[in-house]
Amino acid sequence: MSDLIQQLNSALARAAETADASLVRVSNGWRGQGSGIVVHPEGLILTNSHVMRRDEVQVTLPDGRILPARLLARYEDHDLALLRVDASDLPALPLGSSKALRAGEWVLALGYPWGVPGAATAGVVIGVGDGLPERPNFGSEWLAVDLHLRPGDSGGPMVNAAGELVGVNTVMAGPDVGLAIPVDVVKRFMKQALQAESKAA
Amino acid sequence: MSDVLATLSNELAAVVENTGRSVVRVEARRRLPASGVVWSNDGLIVTAHHVVHWDENIRVGVGAETFPAALVGRDPSTDLAVLRAEGIRLPAAAWETPDDLRVGHLALALGRPGRSVQATFGIVSALGEGWRSPAGGLIDRYLQTDVVMYPGFSGGPLVDALGVVRGVNSSALMRGVSLAVPTSTVSRVVEALLEHGYIRRGYLGVGAQPARLPEAIAEELGQETGLLLVSVEKGSPAERGGLVMGDTIVGLGGERVRHLDDLMALLGGDAVGQERAVRVLRGGGLAEVTVVIGERE
Repeated sequence: MSDLIQQLNSALARAAETADASLVRVSNGWRGQGSGIVVHPEGLILTNSHVMRRDEVQVTLPDGRILPARLLARYEDHDLALLRVDASDLPALPLGSSKALRAGEWVLALGYPWGVPGAATAGVVIGVGDGLPERPNFGSEWLAVDLHLRPGDSGGPMVNAAGELVGVNTVMAGPDVGLAIPVDVVKRFMKQALQAESKAA
Repeated sequence: MSDVLATLSNELAAVVENTGRSVVRVEARRRLPASGVVWSNDGLIVTAHHVVHWDENIRVGVGAETFPAALVGRDPSTDLAVLRAEGIRLPAAAWETPDDLRVGHLALALGRPGRSVQATFGIVSALGEGWRSPAGGLIDRYLQTDVVMYPGFSGGPLVDALGVVRGVNSSALMRGVSLAVPTSTVSRVVEALLEHGYIRRGYLGVGAQPARLPEAIAEELGQETGLLLVSVEKGSPAERGGLVMGDTIVGLGGERVRHLDDLMALLGGDAVGQERAVRVLRGGGLAEVTVVIGERE
C-alpha cells in the first residue's frame, strides 16, 4: 500500500517535471506576470490573451534565459495569445486531446501562482465542453477541474497523467473550480495563427 | 514500470463512466438541472429534495434525451426525493452503506447537470455517529468529504474508489461542507416514501425552549436541562393530554428530554397514535401526564 503511494508520488512528480520543463514566465513590464507554455521547439509560446497587456513582453525560458517576445496572434474570444521568441531547440510540451478527456481523470496545473516558480496543483476533470455552469462571459468551450488556480497561473499548462498538454490555465469559476481553455481550441487557434503568419510572409 | 498515475487516472475515469450510467439529469427547477441516481431497476431514482421545485412535469435524462418522471415523494428533513422514471430502463447503481469507510479513503462525487456525467474527487474527511439535520431529519451517519460540490451535483451519488454508491450528496443539508446522506438513510426514506408518499412525523403541538432545571431536580434526574413550554396549541395532542404553558418537559416515553433534538428524535413516524407518558416539572415538583402523539400534517 505505502509502496503504491510512493509510486503515485513519483509519477505525479514526473508529470509535474514534464510540464515544468516547458513552462515559461511571461512578464509584461512593471508588475503583471503570468505563465506561458513552449508549444514548438522553434520559439513558439502560448499564453492567455489577458496576460498580454502589451504586445511586447519578456519571457523567462525554462533554462533561465530572459528574451523579448513578439505577439504573433491573439484569439480574444478564447483568451489565447501566441508569441514568438528568437530561440530554438526548446523543450516543447506534446499536445494531447481535450476531446479524449474523461470526467474523473487526473490533471496537473503548473504556473507562477503569486509569482512562485513552477508551483503545481492537481485535481480531476469535472467536465469538458460547452455545457458547463458558472462559465465566464467569454469563450464557449471549457475544461473544468476541481483545483485552485491563482494569479500568475494564467497561461500555464494543464497536463494529463501522461504529461500531455490538455488545457491552458485561465480562470476560476467559483471558489473551488478551475477553468482551462481546452487544448482542442488551442490547436484550432494555432493552426489559424500559423497559416496567417505564413501568408503574411 | 507501469505508470501508477496513469493507471489510477484511467481507473477513476472508468469508475465515473460505469457508475455514471446510473446517474441522471433531473429537470425539476427553472435554473440549472440537478442530478439523481438510479435506486432500482424498476425506474426508481433518488435525488435531493431541494432541487425538485415542481411536483409535476419532472423530466430525467441521460445524454440529450429526456423522459417523464413522477414524484413518488419527498422528505425535506433528510433533503431526499424519490422519482419514478417512465419509458426508460436505467441500470441501478451498486449501493452499500458507508460503514466500512475510513477517513482518508478516496471518494468521487458524480453529477449530470448537463448531457454528460461529471465528477469531482477527494477523500473522506470525517465520519461520525447519526445526527439530526437542521430540518429535523435523522441521518444515520455523519459522512463528510472534501469533494467539490459543482453546481448541479446535489442529488448525485458519493461513490467509493470501486464505484459503489455510499450516499447521496446534498449541498443544502449544511452550507460550506460537502455532506452525503448515507445509503442506510436513503434506503429507509425510499421505503417510507413508497409506502406513504411522505415521511410520517409525530406531533405534539408545543412551542418550547431549553431551560436549566433547579439543582435538586437536576441531581435527581441526572440531567441539567429540560424543555420549557412557551406555548401550547389549542386542540393539540399536548393540550388534550393536559400539558400547559410553563411546564418543563424532562422526559417522554421513559427517555430523557434535555433539548429540542431529544424531543424531535422521540417524535418519529413510529410514535404517531401512540400513548406516551410525559414527565414534566410543574410548580416545583415532578408530575406525569399521558399524551397521544398526533401526526404532523
